[in-house]
Amino acid sequence: MAETIASNPFVDVSVFLFFEDISDKQGVEGFTNYIVGQAKSLAKSVPEEEYDTWEDFTNAVVNGESVLSSFENIKQISSNGFVTNVCPFSKAIREYIKRLGNFNPVHMEATDHYNHTIQPSAAHSACMMHQTYRNEVAKRIKIGGKPLQYAQIAAKAYTGKIALPPESWKKVLLEKAGISETQGFMEMRENSCLYVLYIQD
Amino acid sequence: MMDIALYSLVDDMVSKAGTEGVVEYWLRVGESYAERMGKEAYVGWPAFNVAMKEGRTSLTIEGEVNVLTDLAITDKDGDVIGYVYALKTCPMAPTMIRFIQKIGPIPDSDEDVADSYNNRIRDSAVSNYCITHQRFREVAANNITVAKQPLECLHLANKGRMGEVKMLQENLARINVDDRHIKSILRSASCVFALIVKGKSAGEEIAE
Repeated sequence: MAETIASNPFVDVSVFLFFEDISDKQGVEGFTNYIVGQAKSLAKSVPEEEYDTWEDFTNAVVNGESVLSSFENIKQISSNGFVTNVCPFSKAIREYIKRLGNFNPVHMEATDHYNHTIQPSAAHSACMMHQTYRNEVAKRIKIGGKPLQYAQIAAKAYTGKIALPPESWKKVLLEKAGISETQGFMEMRENSCLYVLYIQD
Repeated sequence: MMDIALYSLVDDMVSKAGTEGVVEYWLRVGESYAERMGKEAYVGWPAFNVAMKEGRTSLTIEGEVNVLTDLAITDKDGDVIGYVYALKTCPMAPTMIRFIQKIGPIPDSDEDVADSYNNRIRDSAVSNYCITHQRFREVAANNITVAKQPLECLHLANKGRMGEVKMLQENLARINVDDRHIKSILRSASCVFALIVKGKSAGEEIAE
């Protein structure tokens, strides 16, 4: 399963500081561009995957055998709805707060920038990396010859704040996931991330 | 996942800011990390060494450290001015293992950045992360006082993933420790450093 070898939090925290240093030199836009850019590079480094059927794919994902679940434990909650119970960045975020105190406000500024310029789905700067990684990795997975599609529905920050898409998108995404809004909120009580995975008909 | 991202971030940064730019970023990160940890004061070396053993100092957030109390460093008058410490496991080791397992070989940019640092600043990095790690220790040590005297960190030696060893002879000479002794410590450690009272040495005092 994912995260078999624990990272050293010393390293995790220094990566957050690296991004803060980038924002000192290149502003919030530079921060956002780098975090998105490196997530794309990381996704391009992982091996491609192909599955015959949707069931083969979902089995690989929930068993931690797919590149999509390399860094997180994913659970399937409906035909196309998936959740991540523990955010893979939560340990790094906790360690940052424990060691250094309040998060540098630049992380929220970059998150707002991402939500306004790319898509309104991030609850923390780490979500920008995570969601970009998922999006790019999905392009490398084929099921029955068709590329996997990914869309974020909800993401919960360490403060408890949940990032949700605009009403019009939310309705479509929940329908695509095969869950109601109430079920979605119930899932977000227990999990950190809710998203839809599907293949285009 | 944050740590895994580091390799692609460095790869990306090298293409935009060059290896020298990444070295500068890492040096600043090490400094700001240490500065934000705050100051510490200990009444004497026994209190400080107990804190090191128990992982309570800003220096031990990097991982478990062996406190080599048998390697007390003394000045010309025989007064203890510091000790040698060994970090058991490099903080990047779990990340390297997981990156190789999940993604593939470590990108060449890791070594390119380390080489840039080794050639231009100091020949002591076995991976790009050593740059920020060693800088962190040096700045963090300056924020610690033992018996009201600020400390100085002397990096002595470290060992890379493939067994390559970097050793700083000028620092070994300053504390008068034989390099064969340090090599024997590296058999069961990834990094060896000394913490001494700032400006002192095993021989004459260093002028400020």
